[in-house]
Amino acid sequence: MTRTSTLFAAIAASMMAAPLAAASDLTVNVEGISEAKGSIMMGLFDEATYNGDGAVTGANLTVEGNSVTAVFDGLEPGEYAVRLYHDVNDDGEMNTNPFGMPTEPFAFSNDAKGRFGPAKWDDAKFTVESDGTVHTITMN
Amino acid sequence: MELSRRHFIEASLGTGMIGSLGACASLAPAQAESGMPAWHIGYQNAPRDGFAPAPLNLVFGKPPADLKGSLYRNGPAQFQYGEDYASHWFDGDGLVHRIAIENGTAVHQASFVGTRKRQEELAADKFLAPGFGTLGDESYSVQSSDDVNAANTSVLMVNGELLALWEAGSAFAMNAETLETTGPKTWRGDLKGMPFLAHPKTEPDGRVWNLAVGGPRVGIYRISKTGQLEDFGMVDIGRAAYIHDWTMTERHLIILVQPWINENLRPPVVAGFEWQPQHGLQMLIVDKDDFSNQRWAQAPARMFFHTGSAWEESDGTIKFDVVLYKEPVLGVGGGAAEIRGEWRGHDTFYDGLMTQVVNTTSGEAKLVETDIAGEFPQVDPRYRGKRRQLTALTSGATTARPGTIGLATHNWETGESRNFEFGDNRIVEEFLFVPKAGSQSDLDNWLVGPVLNLKAGVTEICVFDAANVSDGPVCIWQADYSWPLGFHGTWA
Repeated sequence: MTRTSTLFAAIAASMMAAPLAAASDLTVNVEGISEAKGSIMMGLFDEATYNGDGAVTGANLTVEGNSVTAVFDGLEPGEYAVRLYHDVNDDGEMNTNPFGMPTEPFAFSNDAKGRFGPAKWDDAKFTVESDGTVHTITMN
Repeated sequence: MELSRRHFIEASLGTGMIGSLGACASLAPAQAESGMPAWHIGYQNAPRDGFAPAPLNLVFGKPPADLKGSLYRNGPAQFQYGEDYASHWFDGDGLVHRIAIENGTAVHQASFVGTRKRQEELAADKFLAPGFGTLGDESYSVQSSDDVNAANTSVLMVNGELLALWEAGSAFAMNAETLETTGPKTWRGDLKGMPFLAHPKTEPDGRVWNLAVGGPRVGIYRISKTGQLEDFGMVDIGRAAYIHDWTMTERHLIILVQPWINENLRPPVVAGFEWQPQHGLQMLIVDKDDFSNQRWAQAPARMFFHTGSAWEESDGTIKFDVVLYKEPVLGVGGGAAEIRGEWRGHDTFYDGLMTQVVNTTSGEAKLVETDIAGEFPQVDPRYRGKRRQLTALTSGATTARPGTIGLATHNWETGESRNFEFGDNRIVEEFLFVPKAGSQSDLDNWLVGPVLNLKAGVTEICVFDAANVSDGPVCIWQADYSWPLGFHGTWA
């Protein structure tokens, strides 16, 4: 019997920024995609950008099966986190219901989950090693 | 009340009889735990797998031959993990019951709704999710309203699909025969996760109306009798009023904006309520055919949970019945203490009175109070939105324990009230109207509902004649066991 829906608007707002970019070192596999259509809109963040609007880099990945893979080249080794959503209808936006709750699937690195908002940096961060890193995110 | 009738029922349903019925060990009549009062069986955990189908025993009267169908009910039924009690009655996991009645027999079964909250708390053997009166565990992620959905408030049957309802999240679909959970109901893709209030209103032709409440913005669902969403729109009610129920006529929706405001979105939600009587009880009247066509009406400040139903006079006057309180009753902690077996006594100041609200087109509403203190008002579903005579409700209170002691009816045409009191040994729950065969009036109904027999420690299903409730039950079926007190139901 809670009235919490508007809190989820914060999740949606946090998902909107996922700019295009590219270069080396990190491979992100996204598995468990429920619908084979649309795009995975992925943003890669460092601690400084995680709670803001801009990402370090990002990728828009066409979905043709139940998984996609993004490769980011030339990253500085260090801690990063991924925020992504599945733009099922390919309208370039994370759709929400009238109370601001996302209606399209979303996920964070480490499969971290939020509590009335996006997953926390400490829960979503992982290390990109100098010799390369593969990170897998499972949608649910 | 007819004492002789009540005493006869009492005498014929003593505990000695129950002991001879041979209940299996796990479903033996509930005994209050050591140190707990007898009424606490209404707030004890149901078995983790619910109740397998089991026949009830006819212990009084003669079942009506024309009574055929199922009473579905919902209510919280998980109040304790180990030594830890739930923080609030409203946060217990929903247990959906089916009492199938046919040829004079009654069979009970029940299943918990398979929500994420239910599954994860059961696996962890502890309370995790935040809620109405619960702060929740920091480790429990919440990414949608359905992550905290207790699915514990009511049920709705649409086109053969059974839905378990809560008020701040999705309805949960269930199999109407097996009571297995299918999952959250999405009426349309862009409405995924929208709240679906636990008091939908079904027109006599089967069309369903309901609200989605989220602070000052309220969504309106219009659903066809075949279960298809026909329309959805948003209206602004100006304030984040607590809305548990509402009402409608054939042409209008009436959204009651009571001055019990909660701007706080963080759990526990109950801590965020503020009584602001200066606003009065406002009503937004919305045209069913054009949600933008609205008008406001105003009544003195009152708090409410439940309406009966409304109708419209030829001059546009809207009349509806509702149980009104002078001040909020939850503000005094109701619902948290009872789970722990604590009873702080009954204060008549906090009684809800069956009241008729008369809204002329002037916008100034008049309150016509009856002297019936009670709750869970119900009407004949064939007359929802239409002029009718009867409202039935649970009635009366005792200083001895929580819960009501009787069943009352009020006839709005004659002004006559009737009631039957079971006394201190039975807690009376919501009774539903079931039209008699060939019924031509809302006086021609059976009233069917559960009663918790505290003396025997078992739950009973009682049938009354709606026109003569003061004559006492027509028949009583008794389970070999008790189940927790619930909230609301539907007949299908």
